[in-house]
Parts: sequence; structure tokens; C-alpha cells
Amino acid sequence: MGAEIWLGLFSGIAFGFVIQRVGATNPDKMARAHLMMEGDIPKFMLMAVILSAIGLLGLEAAGAANTRVLPTSLVATGVAGILFGIGWGFCGYCPGTTWAAAGEGRLDAVFALIGGLAGAAVFAHLHEFFIPLLYDPFNVGQITLADWTGSRPAAVVLLVFIFGLCIGAINFLWKEKNGGQIP
Amino acid sequence: MDKKNTSPIYWPWLPAAFALAGIIVFIFATFGPPASSSGFVSVIKGAVQTVAPEYVENNPHYATMPDTGSWLFAFVLGMAIGGFAAGRSGRIPVKDIPKIWEKRFGNSRIKRFAATFAGGFIILFASRLAGGCTLGLFISGSTQLAVSGLYFGVLIFAVAMVTARLVYGSTGKEE
Repeated sequence: MGAEIWLGLFSGIAFGFVIQRVGATNPDKMARAHLMMEGDIPKFMLMAVILSAIGLLGLEAAGAANTRVLPTSLVATGVAGILFGIGWGFCGYCPGTTWAAAGEGRLDAVFALIGGLAGAAVFAHLHEFFIPLLYDPFNVGQITLADWTGSRPAAVVLLVFIFGLCIGAINFLWKEKNGGQIP
Repeated sequence: MDKKNTSPIYWPWLPAAFALAGIIVFIFATFGPPASSSGFVSVIKGAVQTVAPEYVENNPHYATMPDTGSWLFAFVLGMAIGGFAAGRSGRIPVKDIPKIWEKRFGNSRIKRFAATFAGGFIILFASRLAGGCTLGLFISGSTQLAVSGLYFGVLIFAVAMVTARLVYGSTGKEE
């Protein structure tokens, strides 16, 4: 086994450990986040992005970053976002959390994982139909905030500002009752 | 005196975000943008190519993805191990049916499992259409300042919030 496998395994173990401990693998907590009853998980996600974006800027300055920006397809990314939101709101799992939650021993996550494998297989089969139909004609390229602000550091400042506002809004609008410590 | 452990059972979100960001930056340094929906494709590719290698070879979706001998598969496998280790060493109760779901739809395991199967199907179908999921598109993308990740992020949060309202109605409210 190459170094890549060990790095992946190590990264996954650390990632799965953290998201379990913060409660992101608990679909009850996820549903309560979506219902604006508990703000911990969305604040955790937004803050992780803020810190990662700052960290990545440092990594880029050091010349050690491996980046790959996914293109924006106005229709495909949009339709996918809506479908994804329906599935996420309905079952309380996202693709990454199903693995950690299944490992944790949640049986409903095992079914979400199997459903996910089926969904990926069906999409792969229909790739040749959907990608030319919904993705390619509306692909506006690998655009980033930096195209708009002119420089990457300025774009990071903008991102931190927007995500910070979102965290503030969650603090203000989500009706937290007990600090999110409901089992 | 009862020697009950009164420390919170969940990690507070802020230090947890620092921990996760550290891991994400490590991944950017040692691999590339982290992703988890790609791991599903790697599993399927690995499985299908053992029985139908020609089908996999001619499929454009599998052509873009490595099979199970890859970082992407090792990562999702690692997540399951990490979830297991964290669950076994922590105090977060594990349930097969979330409390709020049980209140709304009863304790039928069949119903809940059918629902998560359907939900899992939809989120992976959608992720493969967009090219990534919460991690691979929203978190990885936004970290790289990608418009695709931000656009996807706004939609998944907004639609999930509306969907949860429709699914649970006022179930959570009466506590």
C-alpha cells in the first residue's frame, strides 16, 4: 500500500472522530439544526470553512497547497443543491456523516450508506444523459470569489466576513435551549 | 455523592471547528481537496469492475474516479473507523431511530430505514450531478473560494431547512 492510502486512512479517522464528537453524525441533532432549534452544527461547519480558508491561504503562500476548484454549472449545481437539500433535510445525513455514523453503530446510517451507493451507481449509469443536458451547457467555469475581488487574500477577507455574519445570524435566530447537550 | 460525569457529552463547536480545519488544511497539503461522495463512487467502481470490467471502462463517470485502491476510499473507510472509535470512547448515545423522528413517525425501524435509504439515494445522486457533497463541494469549495461551493451551500442549507419543517411540522416545538 502506498503512502496515499495511509494518508487517506489517517485523515479519515481524524475527520470521522471529530464529526462524531461534535454531534454531526447524530441525525437528531442535524434535524434540530435544520429546524432552527440548535445552532452548533451549522456554526461548526461555517467556522471550519473560515479557518480552513485562512489556513489554505497560508499553505498557498508556502507553495504547499493542492487545490482543485470545481466548476459552477448554473443548472446542474443548482438542481443538485435543491435535491441534496431535500435528502439532507429528510434523513439528517450527508454523504460523509453516513460513514462515521455507520461506524458509530447507527443502523439507519447503514441504510443511508447503502442508499447512497445505489444513488451513485444510478447516477454513474445516467451520467451520459444528465451531464450534457444539465451540466455542460450551463458551465460557467472554475470561478472563485478572487475573480471578483481581484486578489485571493481580499476574497478570503470577504468570505470570513460573510460566514462570520452567518454565524452571528445563527446565534441570533436559532432558539437554543440547553447549549445543544441533549443526548 | 453521586460521581456522575457532568462534562458535556458533545464537544463545543468552536474548538471542534479548529480541530476540523486543522485536518482539512492537512488534507490540502498532503492530498488535495477533501471529498466524501467520491468515496461512494470508488466503492461502486471497485465492486462493479470485478463483475463487469467493460461496463466500468466505458462509463464516463467511473473514468474520472479511482477505484478502491485510492485515497478517496481510504478516507471514507477511515471515517467509519474514526466514528467507531469516537463512539466507543465517548458518551454520546447511539440510536437507530432519531428521537425527533420517533416522535413524528413512531418507532417503526422499517419506516426509518426505508426513509434513510431514500434520503441516501437522493443525496448521492445529487452529489454526483454537482460533482461533490457537503464536504467535497461546500466545505472544500468554499475553502478554495469557489463560487460552486458557495452556491451549492446556500441551496442545501435553505432547502434542508424548508424540508425539515415540512417533514417534522411542529414536532420539535413542544419540548
